[in-house]
Amino acid sequence: MPTIEIEGHTFEVDGDGFLANPEIWNDEVAKLIAKYDGIEEMTDKHWDVVKIIRENYEEKGMAPMIRVICKKTGLKLREIYQLFPLGPARGACRVAGLPKPDGCV
Amino acid sequence: MEKVTKDKIKAGLEVFRQLHDSKLLTHLNSCVHCGLCADSCLYYLTMKDERMIPANKVDVVASVYRRYHTLAGRLAPRLVNARELDDATVEEMVDLLFGACTMCGRCVRHCSIGVDIEYVVRMGRKILSDMGYVPASLQATVNAALETGNNMAIPDEEFLDTIEWMEEELQDELEDPQAEIPVNQPGKNVLYTLNPREPKFFPLSISAMAKVFYAAGESWSLSTTMYDVTNYAYFSGNEEHGATIGQRIHEEMEKMQAGKLVLAECGHGYRANRWEAPNYVKKAFPETVSSVELMAAYLREGKITPDKSLTEEVVTLHDPCNLVRGGGIWHEQRYILNRCVQHFEEMSPHGLDNFCCGGGGGQLAMGEYNDRRLKIAEIKAEQIRKTVAKIVATPCHNCVDQLSQINVDFKLNVQIKTIAEIVADSLVIEPKSQK
Repeated sequence: MPTIEIEGHTFEVDGDGFLANPEIWNDEVAKLIAKYDGIEEMTDKHWDVVKIIRENYEEKGMAPMIRVICKKTGLKLREIYQLFPLGPARGACRVAGLPKPDGCV
Repeated sequence: MEKVTKDKIKAGLEVFRQLHDSKLLTHLNSCVHCGLCADSCLYYLTMKDERMIPANKVDVVASVYRRYHTLAGRLAPRLVNARELDDATVEEMVDLLFGACTMCGRCVRHCSIGVDIEYVVRMGRKILSDMGYVPASLQATVNAALETGNNMAIPDEEFLDTIEWMEEELQDELEDPQAEIPVNQPGKNVLYTLNPREPKFFPLSISAMAKVFYAAGESWSLSTTMYDVTNYAYFSGNEEHGATIGQRIHEEMEKMQAGKLVLAECGHGYRANRWEAPNYVKKAFPETVSSVELMAAYLREGKITPDKSLTEEVVTLHDPCNLVRGGGIWHEQRYILNRCVQHFEEMSPHGLDNFCCGGGGGQLAMGEYNDRRLKIAEIKAEQIRKTVAKIVATPCHNCVDQLSQINVDFKLNVQIKTIAEIVADSLVIEPKSQK
């Protein structure tokens, strides 16, 4: 199992760097993964997006549609792409500790 | 890896028997090991691992064929480099054919005697698929499509919500409350398709294409039953799954009584539906075109009128392997860009000789080989860096995703766009319902 090390913390991940055990996720882990992706500070907007993705995952077992993220956070689509430069899947879902979504992402 | 069993070997070897033509056998027996393919391959160029030379990928499949189907291979396998289909061989095949090939076909272009190396890789994947050795992440994407009708398992209701949302955005942009994104409307000229990543995460390309349809006055519709343009079974090598997925679009066309099937910007989706699906399902398909061909036709026929001055940035073009080398479409996207942007600069090499983005062949879905995918991306990053472009256009959502990651990882500071987004940005539209 590959691992990534961020500031002295080691996490087991899949090949794409998504957490191998989504249940170990917490706010600290989110901050560390974000930092790894070049997001120096998790703003309130970042947290809004991440929390909604996380809630959807815990409830339905999958990442929410971008539509749901925009509706619940009140953020514009383009803002979300700016907050997470790697996009909603490789960026936001990874920070939220989800497994990698299937498909062309 | 699960141990190879007698049943698995039997299933794998069946591939050499069940093909109805001699193509595989011809191509397995033709390689002269000249080595010209080495410098074609992203994997060999960036990693310099001789195992990854395309001829070696052909050879691993050919060595299994020799072992079971030639006299010398049966009697003295070591003398003719014939290999048992055992654990070690299967592991090597999985590593090379799934893990070190984007099925880009560039080596085929450069092969001195025209071996269809990509086809041999696909048949090698078929052997592995029939034995049950498709990498789990790739199989999950195929399974999602088989089980839910789209490869991201999007529920219908959420799909419709997203389309409605994009329709509202379109109405705002066009200042026309009548502008629409039609869904489940039979009898239209065009049945349009999407890559599921559009409704799931990147819906701006949906409203962009809707804007182009609006401008052209097209009669079109999406279908909730079948909108997924992808067919990942093309990459897993499982032809039964390929046929099940391919058949759905065929049925939907009949049900919707649409004039033609228009495939969204998706390299393998074009190839799988336009060229492979008729073979999968053993039926002639209705008229099937890429949205790139359709947009070029709108421009040629004067149905849409772009204003070049709206895009001032230099734009370069990435050619998706399966649309260009594997699909035969390379003039249309160039014609579109020359009509819709002020400055279009080719990257080098381009067109039929272009390098893969690194995400093809199912690589983007296969997390198992993520490190290699980002290593081979060095070539595309360098190609983009050598242009002065600020926008990279590409008619493939899979390429868009890989290029977006390259953009961040290699700090290229460009924008990645689909062709529909470029065309939509060039259109100035007078609101129709107020005319």
